[in-house]
Amino acid sequence: MNLYIEWGRPKLKFLIIARKEIIDITRDRRTIIMMIVVPLFLIPVLIGTITKISFSQAKKASEKHLKVRFFGQEFAPDLFQAFINMDKVTMLNQIPEDSVESYIQNEYLDAAIYIDSDYQFQIDQNGQAKINIHFKGTDSFGITKDRINGVLKGFENQIVTKRMNRLNLKPEVVKAYNLTYKDVASKQEKFGKIAGGWFPYVFIIFGFMGAMYPAIDLGAGEKERGTLETILSSPASRLDIVLGKFLVVMLAAVLTAFIALAGMAIGIQSIPEIPPEMLVIINEVLSPKTIGLIMTLVLPVAAFFSAVLLGLSVYAKSFKEAQSIMAPLNIVIIFPAVIGTLPGIELNTITALIPVLNVSLASKDIIAGVMDPFLMTEVYVSLFGLAGLAIFWCVKWFNRESTIFRS
Amino acid sequence: MIQVQNLSKDFSLNRKQRKELGDEYKNTKTLRAVDNISFECQPGRIFGLLGPNGAGKTTTLRMVATMLKPTSGSITVSGFDSVTQGQNVREQIGFMTGQTALYDRLTPTEMVKYIADLHGMEKSAFQKRKDHLFQILDMHSFADRRISRLSTGMKQKTSIARTIIHDPQVMIFDEPTAGLDVMTSRAIMDLIRSCREEGKTVIFSTHRMGEVNQVCDDISIIYNGRLFYNNTLDQFKAEMTQATFEDEFIYRVGEA
Repeated sequence: MNLYIEWGRPKLKFLIIARKEIIDITRDRRTIIMMIVVPLFLIPVLIGTITKISFSQAKKASEKHLKVRFFGQEFAPDLFQAFINMDKVTMLNQIPEDSVESYIQNEYLDAAIYIDSDYQFQIDQNGQAKINIHFKGTDSFGITKDRINGVLKGFENQIVTKRMNRLNLKPEVVKAYNLTYKDVASKQEKFGKIAGGWFPYVFIIFGFMGAMYPAIDLGAGEKERGTLETILSSPASRLDIVLGKFLVVMLAAVLTAFIALAGMAIGIQSIPEIPPEMLVIINEVLSPKTIGLIMTLVLPVAAFFSAVLLGLSVYAKSFKEAQSIMAPLNIVIIFPAVIGTLPGIELNTITALIPVLNVSLASKDIIAGVMDPFLMTEVYVSLFGLAGLAIFWCVKWFNRESTIFRS
Repeated sequence: MIQVQNLSKDFSLNRKQRKELGDEYKNTKTLRAVDNISFECQPGRIFGLLGPNGAGKTTTLRMVATMLKPTSGSITVSGFDSVTQGQNVREQIGFMTGQTALYDRLTPTEMVKYIADLHGMEKSAFQKRKDHLFQILDMHSFADRRISRLSTGMKQKTSIARTIIHDPQVMIFDEPTAGLDVMTSRAIMDLIRSCREEGKTVIFSTHRMGEVNQVCDDISIIYNGRLFYNNTLDQFKAEMTQATFEDEFIYRVGEA
């Protein structure tokens, strides 16, 4: 049976328009790709690929066989022995000293250790032995430095213990504080503060992208096809037309954001490298209540995007012009969304008023479960106020003859 | 019936537009597209609004269809004022242009249903009217095919069906045959004639004099926004000083 007839017969004209626009955009391949295919398939693939690559790189780095050149082994034979005893290491002592820098630079050698000739004297006299370590700092996981430091620290501790014993001193002499830390932050809070910023980032970006194509199609596309006159000469008022279109653009934005979330959930669940205990935390954090609360932020921000994009689209003469007007907006949206992911940026009375950034920060707090009622109210008032203003502007804009018939 | 009284329309010009229009418009902020025109279209008669491109025909018809607001003057359609009773006016009219103006991703049935719904047609009335129109326009074979996959002729038939699905009392045709082939143009001309036979008020803009001769009862000629001829077609013929309609039209526009 025909979908159009099956849906019943709304009496309100803006609903008739919205129903027709839904049918129209769901038959548009570009909109479907942007709204469903990209968030539902691309996000899991991206998450999976990035995680797999980083896990395998980290594994590769931790299993790396270090190549070390040790100068002055005759001054510190026991330290040299400690390096030889180290796991996954090869001592390349035939490399001449003047070639060491270029070997490290070209990654044939991971590190060179230089022991001063007075090493043993300094150790015996309770002095400080000088050790120079050359390495290449572009090693993304800092694994070379960490492993060499590990050996040196272990050896240094042995020397210090011997010195303390010799001097008949207790460890407290050099360690005046006995520090114990108790972290009161819940796992949810920690996760929210660290990773929480990325969830709203995905909502915002995909919500915007999801609204963009329907907005272009329903505004500039209608002008380009010459169908605007058809609808303007119908009994529907301008308000009906703009409301009907606005609802559909907003629906597309919210759906895309929601599908993006589903995509993220699928992506996270399908990564075998994520430890099960971490998965439990993620599942607890992304509970229906949290998602529901985040969606209440997505709704006004989607309304804001939809009204602005529809207004701009109606102004544009063609699909192409609408695309070129809207493209720079991506940067405007991405910028505050990215700022929200930075550590140290918190929701306060000022940031709660900045659109997009406030969604990002408020979502972070929702995920962390540390919502401040006053700030959350400020965020909602700001978002709904802004969405209302954007809708008002869009309706006014749609009523302007110079916008509608701009050619 | 359509009554147009002292109708004018000004469009504001931005700097770029003023520059494009040349020195004449250097210091003016508006362009008068329609200048104090008056005419009447009677039911059961076809009123031809003639004029070259850019004369002000489309602006006039868009004002009649309430898409544009007049700067001054008034328009009444079936007794409703176009500014204060815009929705009532739009309920009375069917508007058709040379472009098929259809939604490519809908089917003809869906397209026609959409317009019928906006006009508040009841389901049974719609079904009856749709069946009738699809029958006489021979549309049943492609009624459920996407419009994007239809031929130009099929699209034009769909466009006709969506224009008259609600059986409007007033028909506005804005250069409806522009860019169409002979066969499709003939179908449109037949539609215009049938509207007259059904007692509808028809306003028809064109610059093709052959079409005027075929269907019009009354004509007005508009040029540079001003109406400089308004009479019956018979009277126009009687006053002709040139050999053909086209020559007479060009001569009169040149004199205006």
